[in-house]
Amino acid sequence: MRVQGPGAPGGPGASWDSSGTELLPAGHRVGDWVVTEPIGAGGWATVYAGTRSGADAPGAAQEPREVALKIMPTSGLAPRQARSVAEAARREVEIGVRAGHPRLIRLLDSTVLSAPGHPALDGAIVLVMERAGASLRDLLGAGITEAEGARLIAGICEGLAHLHRSGWVHADLKPENVLIGEDGSVKLSDFGLAAELTTGTHGHGPPMGTLDYLPPERWRAPLGELGVEVRPSADIWALGVVIHEVFASGAPLFSGATPVARGAAVQEYAAGRAPLRMANGVPEFWRALATDCLAPTHAARAAHTAESLLERIAVRQAAPSVPRSRTGRFGRATRIALLALAACGAIGPAIWSYAGHTGREAAPGGRVGIAEPPLQVRVFNAEKGCRERTDRDPRCSLGLAIDPMRPYTAGNVVPTRVWHADVLEADCQLLSGEVVIDESDTRSTHWFRIRLPSAGPGGGPGAEPGAIAWLPAVRTKDRPPLPGCPAPTAAR
Amino acid sequence: MSGIVVHLPRGSGGADGEPGGGAVTLRLGPGEVARFGRGSSTTPVELRLADEAISRLAGEIRVTDDHWQLTNHSTTQTYLVENPEGAGEYLRVSPRRAGAPIPFEFSRVVLPTRRGTNVSFQVFAPDHVYLDPPGAGGSWGASRTVTAYSLDETATYFLVLVALCEPWLRDQSPVAVPTTPQVVERLRGHATGGGLTARAVSSHIDYLADEKLRIGAAAAANEAGAGGCTGTAAAGDRRNGKRDAVVALALKFAVVREEHLALLPPRAEAGARGR
Repeated sequence: MRVQGPGAPGGPGASWDSSGTELLPAGHRVGDWVVTEPIGAGGWATVYAGTRSGADAPGAAQEPREVALKIMPTSGLAPRQARSVAEAARREVEIGVRAGHPRLIRLLDSTVLSAPGHPALDGAIVLVMERAGASLRDLLGAGITEAEGARLIAGICEGLAHLHRSGWVHADLKPENVLIGEDGSVKLSDFGLAAELTTGTHGHGPPMGTLDYLPPERWRAPLGELGVEVRPSADIWALGVVIHEVFASGAPLFSGATPVARGAAVQEYAAGRAPLRMANGVPEFWRALATDCLAPTHAARAAHTAESLLERIAVRQAAPSVPRSRTGRFGRATRIALLALAACGAIGPAIWSYAGHTGREAAPGGRVGIAEPPLQVRVFNAEKGCRERTDRDPRCSLGLAIDPMRPYTAGNVVPTRVWHADVLEADCQLLSGEVVIDESDTRSTHWFRIRLPSAGPGGGPGAEPGAIAWLPAVRTKDRPPLPGCPAPTAAR
Repeated sequence: MSGIVVHLPRGSGGADGEPGGGAVTLRLGPGEVARFGRGSSTTPVELRLADEAISRLAGEIRVTDDHWQLTNHSTTQTYLVENPEGAGEYLRVSPRRAGAPIPFEFSRVVLPTRRGTNVSFQVFAPDHVYLDPPGAGGSWGASRTVTAYSLDETATYFLVLVALCEPWLRDQSPVAVPTTPQVVERLRGHATGGGLTARAVSSHIDYLADEKLRIGAAAAANEAGAGGCTGTAAAGDRRNGKRDAVVALALKFAVVREEHLALLPPRAEAGARGR
């Protein structure tokens, strides 16, 4: 994807202007939408930022004001090319309609333009999509902390797991196609090459891809009548490349000056003639995960699904930094009670009290960080149904505790509620507070001290300035390197 | 990136020391090396060239990226690498030159001998990547989405492909794919393709199907074994299957488009095409 800029360099026929693509001016109307500025150009499309033309249009309340307009012109193309553009658009729409998920960029509308006075636009397909703030590629250059990287990769895995479950292979996973929403959430985009799993194990896609993210078998893959065979393991390979890039500041995993040279290096590795050489900075856990994703053959890679990788990440995220023993699964009643606590205003008895557990002095964090607190933690709701909604339904709200040394019950929460994906400011962590067990039986004594916002989320009533509360660590996937908290002094 | 194909014609040596043996075809992946020369029990070579003027270890070929490198182990002889499609284009690889990069998709490596004849073998590098046409937008950046199976639109194989696709492109109707003699006839009068023999056309179709488009299993099952002649009726049918598959894929994935018809020589009046 290329972003138009003044004096953008471009080889012959390579830059946006020389390719003959006419740019739409700001203020140009496209259906119900008005172009504000160009964002970039991909293989078949140019993408613009846009807003709805009439602010009072019906349904405008649910729609974001800012959208991305992906315009895929079909005029001037040979009939077969126009057909492949339409095919790509159809895949995007189909995924948008059938496989909507918070980790996939949302398709708001699609239309075909009729613009007889504007031959370049006549017949163009317009996809109206949720507008993202940046792409993972933009973040790579700036450097990503381990905690942030973990969150991003978990987000990509969630998106892939959902796509694969829904019977699709993305087939063009790369940092450019991993978008980051304004709220920091990960959203996969660009399903123009996505392949539907027609046989359960593989589908067929157009013979296109991005060289740096193609699995080794693709370089030799035969072209058939339906295109090239694509399996979910292709996405897993690309994920392995992306994991490495996230922790290696975008450095390519395979050496070579050009994508073609790196493709040759992929072949050498897959044929066993060269080892996998990852950058030194990749943390041990992620190195192991990426190595599994990058198993040289489809057969070896098939053991690692997006689902299984996500599970490994979740287990690691949930593990506190001090060793602990897991004492088995807890009864269903416990979980139901905790669910009730998660819901707004639930009143109930103690959920779980760790027998014999007395208030202990808070130990300083096992890993004392270098970053200055407060650091951000993003709220995670173990209830999948709640993660998928953004309407801040009270039933999906989560409580913050007043005292981390007392059971996490309705009597021990502050009035301020939080929702999945809210970003909170944590200033220290407590590794040995009261035990909390979440809906998926993850058990932890780890808490974060949160500075309550003085204005409530969504403009609601806020807490008084300087107020604090405690977030159980099972309620977030983040593990920022915070200092240990002093022993809580809240009275029992 | 599937590497390169080295082809030593019949009668030039053989892999295992049979002088004047059969044709040898080697496939090398990126990073792989093949040595060539007269060979001996102490100097093994992958590609044996049976001529006493050639050193036991005359040189080696190494696959790098999408091309290959030629090392000349001879201390006295210069090797030539010709581009058979390059209108006389060639490279000279001097004695003891290590790793000279060879940029041609098609090469003929020529080693001099004393008898005034040459020993030569062919090297194909089908992995060369071509940028998508300008209309597709984007740039040759680090992460561009590109069409795999890209073809050199100036190559003879492309001309053959356009000739095969012509009836479809002009009529948009399911007519028979031209036969090899029809292709030869159609290209007559073309500056570089005019002299193509039926055998050459057939081997270009084989190259397109096997190396460039890598026609899938279904079509490959019908594939004729080797060589360029359609001796029996059965072999002819198999070749037709391959030809149909090449045309279907090239059209389906817009490898060949209407604008490419300009590459063909002007058409004689319709009756003269001998359908």
